[in-house]
Amino acid sequence: MELFLEKKKFFSQNKKIFLIMMLSILMLMCFLLPYIQIIINKDNFCVTGLDILAGSKLGLADAGDGACIYFPNIMRISVLLGVLSPLIGVLFILLKKHVLAAGSFIVGAITPIFSLLTVSDLKRQIVELNISSNRVYIGFIWPFFLILIFGLTSAVFSVWLNGGEKLAEAVFFCFALVSVGLVLLITLYMIISGLPAIIEVGVFNFLFGSEWNPSCGKYGILYLILASLLGTFGAVIVGVPVGVLTAVFLAEISSKKVAVIVRSIVELLAGIPSVIYGFFGMMIIVPFIRNVFYGIRTLSQRPVVGDSLLAVILVLAIMVLPTIISTAETSIRAIPKSYKEASLGLGATRIQTIFKVTLPAAKSGILSGIVLGVGRAIGETMAVIMVAGNIVNFPELLGSVRLLTTGIAIDMAYSSGLFRQCLFGIGLVLFIFIMIVNISFMKISKRGVQIDATNR
Amino acid sequence: MQQTDKPKSDVEKMSLYSKSVRKSDIVLTLLIYFCATVTIAFFVLLIAYVVFNGIGYISLEFLTSTSEQDGILSIIINTLYVEFFTLIFAIPIGVGAAIYLTQYVKQGKLVKLIRFSTETLAGIPSILFGLFGYTVFCVLFGLGSSIIAGCLTMIICVLPGIIRTTEEALLTVPNSYKNGALALGAGKFRTIFQIVLPCAVPGILTSVILAVGRIMGESAAFLLTIGTGTKMPSGLFSHLFASGRTLTLHLYYMSGNGSVPDAMKICFAIATILLVLIFVLNILAKLVAKRFIN
Repeated sequence: MELFLEKKKFFSQNKKIFLIMMLSILMLMCFLLPYIQIIINKDNFCVTGLDILAGSKLGLADAGDGACIYFPNIMRISVLLGVLSPLIGVLFILLKKHVLAAGSFIVGAITPIFSLLTVSDLKRQIVELNISSNRVYIGFIWPFFLILIFGLTSAVFSVWLNGGEKLAEAVFFCFALVSVGLVLLITLYMIISGLPAIIEVGVFNFLFGSEWNPSCGKYGILYLILASLLGTFGAVIVGVPVGVLTAVFLAEISSKKVAVIVRSIVELLAGIPSVIYGFFGMMIIVPFIRNVFYGIRTLSQRPVVGDSLLAVILVLAIMVLPTIISTAETSIRAIPKSYKEASLGLGATRIQTIFKVTLPAAKSGILSGIVLGVGRAIGETMAVIMVAGNIVNFPELLGSVRLLTTGIAIDMAYSSGLFRQCLFGIGLVLFIFIMIVNISFMKISKRGVQIDATNR
Repeated sequence: MQQTDKPKSDVEKMSLYSKSVRKSDIVLTLLIYFCATVTIAFFVLLIAYVVFNGIGYISLEFLTSTSEQDGILSIIINTLYVEFFTLIFAIPIGVGAAIYLTQYVKQGKLVKLIRFSTETLAGIPSILFGLFGYTVFCVLFGLGSSIIAGCLTMIICVLPGIIRTTEEALLTVPNSYKNGALALGAGKFRTIFQIVLPCAVPGILTSVILAVGRIMGESAAFLLTIGTGTKMPSGLFSHLFASGRTLTLHLYYMSGNGSVPDAMKICFAIATILLVLIFVLNILAKLVAKRFIN
């Protein structure tokens, strides 16, 4: 308490304004220091912010006469913004518009990130000068981070001019905005990185092409989509009845002690890492399938090796079980007692009451649990990768399959060019699926809440 | 005895006291018991199978040997690095967001937007975070496949969970506490830091424990961002920029690796360690929550 007051005294308004001025001058000076570092064949080119502003190109003497690269316009604009924003910020401080000043300092602080986005453009230009891309290194050095730190600090100080309470609120507000920013960024990035490949291959060819053969330039992901959908569907078919009935057992039938034990077991199941499920599937389920269906051939005349869609379904069913059980149990418990009492009073047995009254009343809660489980199953990667076999096939129950998620995970390490872009395209498709599932989950769970509210 | 042997009359059949048991009821009851048994049996099978096979290989040497072939010390260190550097960023951001959502603004379009995006973030699978982290942190920021890139990616993964659990904890703090502090002349900031947060510490602790579990179990996001390194750290901070697999990833790589003779035993041992850790974390979270309620 005392500490807080003392701090307030220590940083008087004038001191804060002085500090802000100093920080903005430092920020401007950062642009005089080396900003980007380009290393080509061990030759080091350091470019300061001033260079970028003053001239539009950088001569590379080694690469031949007149060889030069042009700074992308985005980079020049961002440097210009970086120089102007501290000045504008100071102006706002003098006009006593503290929040606007903070805004302009923040803009100044994040300008380096915009220049960061242009690195690939620079690299492309250098590669066009016949320099192998492994010999080129483009990096940003410490003044780059100094701008970030100075900008953010002066923004904090300028909000502080409005008082400590305002500063606290602004900081919390920024933290709260992080998740919004991340969702926007991820959505934007998914579209930007995924769409070019889809357009280049052709929307129809990409989504409905049945041949995935990157070495021949065939990028059709129909089988991947089908395998993902069938795997999820199968997991729901297997997992939902078991899950819902276990929830019924927990909420209606078992004694309190048993329910506590089973519930903690379910919680533990939810926390087990997916690789362990995958490993378990690999060691138990896959050999089991191989032994049971020994000698049978799949439709494509391959012997059953155990790595199959069936194994995927079983592993996924186990993995969605905890989600379904816990949501179903909560929604069954939320059913008003009067419903059950009325049913029992009319002479229905306990089981009749459960299946004719309780479960229908808990429908929307159970449904939202199922949708949540679908979202989990469709995005699951590591458990699936270990049991799926990962060969792109028309999905059949006993044949090896590759799903959307495993497609990304397996090829990411060694893909390049259009192949890699197509993986981002798969990511976009997966993202769209997930968004559909997410939004329908939100709709359903909201409706469930409304129904519950009207019941009471 | 004689009475029960007699065939029942129609009136007796309809009586409440001689309720006949319906066949479908028996079948459905059995089905319910069957499903519950399947869930529990499966759980017992999984734990027993993994622990039975793995416990024998775990020794002090296995845990502390610095050699890459038969020890996992470097991998444990990597995992600790990831845990620490993810949480050190994620906790302030998550708790700050939860404070804003519960103490400053409670309704309105902005809050709806923040809630919506938190929920969306929670639903996105980790492989997509991995893809995002790979392009943004590894390639765009030039960090390469490194522990710090994995940490930055992981922050996004655990943020929604921390926000949600902390929010619940903050909402349970009685309003009268806050009003009391405000009436005594404390500012809002001081009320939050000296009244609300201390009251919600167990809840926040629970959210941290859950996040620890989540980070420990995560693998898909790391698969694309953190690399495969198994080297011991060469420096406290330089190790952040080196690639290093976590326990889960080590299990994954080992399970597909035929060249290491004891690969499967190592897999079982790691799986056992992970299971034990998850179990301990679960109990810890329960204990903290119980204290919270009291």
